[in-house]
Amino acid sequence: MKLLTKTTLYFLLIMLPVFTAGAFFLYNRFNKEIKHETDEELLNDQLEWVRYLDTTSAGNPVFRISTPEFNIRPVDAPVQRKPRFTTVDIYQEPEDTYAPFRQLSQVITVRDQHYELIIRKSLIEKDDLVKNIIHVMLLAFGGLLVFALVSNWLISRKIWKPFYRSLDQIQQLQLNKLAKVIFEQTPTYEFNQLNSSLTSMTARMYQDYLNMKELTEDAAHEMQTPLAIAQSKLELLLQDESLTAAQQRNILLSYDELQRLSRLNHSLLLLAKIENRQFPVSAPLKLAAVIRKYLQLFEELIAEKQLTINSQLDEESEWPLHPALADLLISNLLGNAIKYNYAGGEITLLLAARSLQISNTSELAAIPADQLYQRFKKQQDTYSNSNGLGLAIVKKMADSYQLTLTYLHTGNVHQFTVKLP
Amino acid sequence: MKLLIIEDEPVLRDSILEYLERQGYICESANDFKQGLEKVREFDYDCIVADITLPLGNGLDIVKELKSLESHAGIIIISAKDALEDKLKGLELGADDYLTKPFHLSELNARINAILRRKNFDGNTIIRFNEITVIPASQTVLVNNNSISLTGKEYQLLLYFIANQRRVVTKSALASHLWGDEYDSAGSYDFIYTHIKNLRKKMLEANGEDYINTVYGTGYRFG
Repeated sequence: MKLLTKTTLYFLLIMLPVFTAGAFFLYNRFNKEIKHETDEELLNDQLEWVRYLDTTSAGNPVFRISTPEFNIRPVDAPVQRKPRFTTVDIYQEPEDTYAPFRQLSQVITVRDQHYELIIRKSLIEKDDLVKNIIHVMLLAFGGLLVFALVSNWLISRKIWKPFYRSLDQIQQLQLNKLAKVIFEQTPTYEFNQLNSSLTSMTARMYQDYLNMKELTEDAAHEMQTPLAIAQSKLELLLQDESLTAAQQRNILLSYDELQRLSRLNHSLLLLAKIENRQFPVSAPLKLAAVIRKYLQLFEELIAEKQLTINSQLDEESEWPLHPALADLLISNLLGNAIKYNYAGGEITLLLAARSLQISNTSELAAIPADQLYQRFKKQQDTYSNSNGLGLAIVKKMADSYQLTLTYLHTGNVHQFTVKLP
Repeated sequence: MKLLIIEDEPVLRDSILEYLERQGYICESANDFKQGLEKVREFDYDCIVADITLPLGNGLDIVKELKSLESHAGIIIISAKDALEDKLKGLELGADDYLTKPFHLSELNARINAILRRKNFDGNTIIRFNEITVIPASQTVLVNNNSISLTGKEYQLLLYFIANQRRVVTKSALASHLWGDEYDSAGSYDFIYTHIKNLRKKMLEANGEDYINTVYGTGYRFG
C-alpha cells in the first residue's frame, strides 16, 4: 500500500468517528433546544389559558374542550403542582399519519373545580428544521471531509515528491553507473538528510565496487603470470629424457591441473566482467552462424558419441549480444548438451526469431532447481573436466542482458530455453 | 633466425629462451620497455615476442616503434589480460599474433614458426624434415616425393609437430592448437589420438618413417 493511501486511510478512519460523534452531539443539542423552546411556549400558552379561564366566570360554566391543540376536562384527581411535558404522536386525519406533538399536561383548579389541562404543539415544523439543520451540517461535514482529504492528498503528494524522486533514482541504480547519481537538494530538512545519506552511501558503494572490480581483475591477471611461469617450467621439465614414466606422468598431472586452474581463473574473471557489463552490445548478431560454427568445432565430439543433431535454425534470428558473449552462450549450452549426453543420444536445436532451445538426451537426473545455476555445482563428480561455471556464466549473461533462461527436464531430456525480452 | 624476447618476468623469460634456443633459434632478451626499445632500434630481428605490461612502458608502443622503423620483423604480443581490446589494438598496430598467458611453449614456438615462414619467404617457404616436404602455399605434403592427402586437422598437426620436433608435446597443447580453448566446454580431447593414428598411417603408407612417438600418458614427440 502506498504511503499516501495509507495516511489518507488513517485520516479517514480517525475523522469518521469524530465527525459522526459531532453530528450526534449537534443533533441532540438541537433536539433539546427545540424541546426546551416548545416547552416554554407551552407554559406561556398555559398561563394565557388559565388567565383567560379565570376571567370567563359568568354562569360558572364547566369547561370541556377537546381539540388536538387544546384539551380541558374536569377531573377528580388532585391538583398537580408542576406541568408534565411529554412527546406524543397524534393521528392526523387529513394526512392519515401520526405526527409528533409536544404536550403539556397538568391538573389545575379553576374556581374550585379540578381540570386536566392538555396543551399540544406540533413538532412537525420544528422536526423539519432539525432535519434541515442536520442535512446542512452533514453536507458541511462531508464537504469538509472531502476537502480535507483532497488537500491532504495534494499536500502530501507535493511534500513527498522529492522522496519519490529519490526512490526512483535508487530503483534505477546500476552498480556500474553509480558514479553519476546525484540526489538533488529539496526544501525539506528530512529529505535533505536522506538524500545526503544516500549520496554518500552510493559514493561509498561505488568506491567499494570499483575496488572490488579492480581487485578481481588484478588478482586474476596477476595470477596468470605465476601460472604461466609454472606451466612453462613443467613443459620444459617434460622434455627431460632421463625422466621415468612415473615422474613424467606426475609432471603432466601437475601441468594439466595448472591449466585447469588457469581456465577456472579465466571463467571467474569472465563472470565478473559479465556482471559488470563489460561486454557492450554491438550490432545485432545472427545466432544461426554462431551455432553452425560450434557445431563444426564440436563435429568430432559429436561423431565420436554418435549423436544425432536435429536443428531448425531461423537464419534471420538476430540477438543483441557482444560476439564474445554469443560464443560463450552457444559453446556452454551446446558443450553441455554433448558432454552430458550418452552415446547414440540426440541433441535438438531450435532457433526461432526470439528464442533458442537446446535439448539433449542424458542419463543424468534432473538438475535440482536450487543448484541449477550455482557456481561450482557439478552434476557428477566424474566430470572432472567441468569447472562448474558454465551454466553460472550463461545465467549471469541472461540476467545482465535481460534474457530469460529456463530449464525443463522431461523423461531423459534436458532442455534449456533462452528467450529475448 | 634471430629472436628478441621482451618479458619482465625473469623465470618466464628464461623458460621461453630455453625452449626456443633448443629449437635452434638465436635469442636475445630484454627486461623492460627501455631496454626493449634500445635493442629494437639497434639490431635487426626476425621475430619479436613482447609482453604488453612492462616496466617503464607498454609493449604496444614497441609495436608502434617497429612499424615506424619499417621493420620487417614478425611481432607476437603476449599478455596476462585476455582483453579483446588489447588484442585488437595490438593487431591493428601491426602485431602478427597475440597470445594470452599462460600459454604452451610449444604453441608460442609454432606461432613464431608460422610467422617466420610467412614473413621471410612470402609464404613460399618449403618445410623439410628428412623425407617429409611441406609446401604451405598449396598445403601439399610430400613423403619421399610422393604426395599424400591429409585432412585439415592432420595437416595442422604435422606442421605443429615439425615446428616442435624432438620435443614432448602434450595432448592439451595439441587440442588447444587444433580446436581453440573453447573446446574444453565440450569435454575430452582423447580422440586427438584418432587424428594422430590417421596421420601416422598415411605417412607409413608412403614409406615414411614413423616419427610420432607416443610418450606414455603425456603426449607425443616427433622425430
